[in-house]
Amino acid sequence: MEMIIAGLQDSISPASLMFLFAGVAIGVIVGAIPGINGPMAIALFIPVTYYMTPLTAIGFLVGLNKGAFFGGAVSAVLLRTPGTPEAAATSWDGYPLTQQGKGEKALRMALYSSVAGDFMSTIVLIMIAAPLAAVALFMGPAEIFALISVALTVIAGIGTTSIGRGLIAAGFGILVGLIGTEPVTALPRLTFDVYQLGGGLSLIPVAIGLLAFSEILIQLEKITLKGSGECSTHVFSSKREDRLLSLKEFFASTKTLIRGSLIGIGVGAMPGLGAPVASFMSYDQAMKRSKKKEEFGKGSLEGIGASESANSSVVASSLIPLFVLGIPGNLAAAMLMGAFMIHGMQPGPLLFKENAQLMYGIYGSLILASLFLMLIGRFGMRYFCKAVNIPAMILYPIVTFTCIMGAYLGRSSMFDVGVMLAFGFIGYYMRKFDYSYVAFIIGFILAPEWERALQQVVIISQYDTYMFFQRPVAMVLMALALFVIVRTFWGSIKDGRKKQVEAAAAKAGQHKGD
Amino acid sequence: MTRVKRDTIAYLFIIGFCIVMLTWAIPTYTPEYPGYGASPALLPVVSVSLMLFMACLSLLFVGVALFMNKPLPVEESEFPEDLEDDSGFTQVGRVKMYHLASIMIPCVLLVVAIEYIGYELASFSFLVILQYVIGSRKWIQSILVSIALTALLYIIMRYGFGVPVPGPQIFE
Repeated sequence: MEMIIAGLQDSISPASLMFLFAGVAIGVIVGAIPGINGPMAIALFIPVTYYMTPLTAIGFLVGLNKGAFFGGAVSAVLLRTPGTPEAAATSWDGYPLTQQGKGEKALRMALYSSVAGDFMSTIVLIMIAAPLAAVALFMGPAEIFALISVALTVIAGIGTTSIGRGLIAAGFGILVGLIGTEPVTALPRLTFDVYQLGGGLSLIPVAIGLLAFSEILIQLEKITLKGSGECSTHVFSSKREDRLLSLKEFFASTKTLIRGSLIGIGVGAMPGLGAPVASFMSYDQAMKRSKKKEEFGKGSLEGIGASESANSSVVASSLIPLFVLGIPGNLAAAMLMGAFMIHGMQPGPLLFKENAQLMYGIYGSLILASLFLMLIGRFGMRYFCKAVNIPAMILYPIVTFTCIMGAYLGRSSMFDVGVMLAFGFIGYYMRKFDYSYVAFIIGFILAPEWERALQQVVIISQYDTYMFFQRPVAMVLMALALFVIVRTFWGSIKDGRKKQVEAAAAKAGQHKGD
Repeated sequence: MTRVKRDTIAYLFIIGFCIVMLTWAIPTYTPEYPGYGASPALLPVVSVSLMLFMACLSLLFVGVALFMNKPLPVEESEFPEDLEDDSGFTQVGRVKMYHLASIMIPCVLLVVAIEYIGYELASFSFLVILQYVIGSRKWIQSILVSIALTALLYIIMRYGFGVPVPGPQIFE
């Protein structure tokens, strides 16, 4: 109990509150800019957190992520340009409302739904993470090794249409993550005699390069080719009923919000699915069960509520696998895992045992971040909308230069800037060639932990080949990893055959027409 | 070039990379087995083998489809148009080499120049050039943005975080 009180007290210290508030505000602004999302914002701002206490740093980054989720809805509603994949469903109903002059009403619905979903999810995280972590403490190195193997196979499917390319990306991420000092011999490995690689590649330049810089390269490409430097400015209706959201309108969507939040919590707690799945699933369910199905896609407040409550509830629930097992369920959680490691902590069940006060402090920050999001969104909505109107020709050079200096800031090293540029280049090609950079990043982050678990298993079992068969949980997890690979392959083969049949049919139809 | 041809080249490149890693890089730059625990080369070999296996398998699928003269799905045989919706994890499309070079070259030059002419001049020049490259022709605006951003980050680094600004300094 003392720990809980002390942790909560830490979370309301002036520094924590100030940085949490700043995190949410920056997150909303950054998220509102098309092309910049939560994980990218975390990557850009991790170097800044070097100079903060662990609680302030994690609170700031969590606030940033929460803010960015709502910020994504701003550009989705106003420009029909979802800054993040999960905000795509929000744009289907948000933008039609903007066209009707009801953009502010749509944004209010998005805000209240986001906060509702996020708050519910945070409560669930607080209720179940610590008890689950206590159970997870009984897991040994064999189970951890097997669990990371499962996570890597599940995650390989994210962000690509091909499991094969996903696994290649994950393999490459693991390989890059293994560069540096080998843990058993303490000798350099795969450093190519470059002394700066002795300590391994730092997460910051790699993440900034892959997430932010490669995205900037693509956004700049679009600007250069299409010449769309200016964005249109939206005018809100001055009519009260078009601007404000009545209680009746909000509570008409109560069931949808609860359903959306539950979907988001469930999806977020499972590694590999992520917010876009939750958002689309919730939207689909809301449409099927709604009494006003015909309004969906034309400006339904229920549609916005379904999408936003689901995607925002993923933010906190995706921390469940991270806090309980040390496995990041999505990209944002992977970046937060990196932040924990930078501040000398290893996410996982031991976190509750070794840093209980900090964890309760983080819980406090998570709740406060929801309240701040409500306040900032409510009073700053009109100002944040202006972020989407910054000319791209000013904005993207600023972000590019921030990427470069952000990479430098981590270790005051120009070598890291070079690494960032190299991974920006690789990330550009990965995006263009459909290789999952999400799988790469998660492979990169999990590789050292995976190797550590393997070394422990080998040393403890004294080279027993059947070690996994003696640990039922590990055996089940390894079987699960195998099942995931086989099932995904089978699915992609079936999908490929279906596409081939469709292509053949299309070709036959074309010949007939000729 | 169709997408399937480009993917084939990519798979061949990956296969080549994996062969170089397995035959030269991993044996040369990995410590010798110390006699306990798992070999330091084990996981690098596993990860590279995974990449090699998946690339070969993907290449095999493409080869079988072509050999059996099966029609490929449209998105495999042709390039999709550049997506209007820029959401999503991947933005599959053509690599615009000229554009890529026009952005990457100033960035690389910045990294080199900063060591010789210092942060202030190098950053200012970089920002002006970058804005020009992406199409801005408002010179006063470009110069003002460049000066403001260079100064802002200088102040943040120097006085905010106490981090040494890279390269020789003008304002020492």
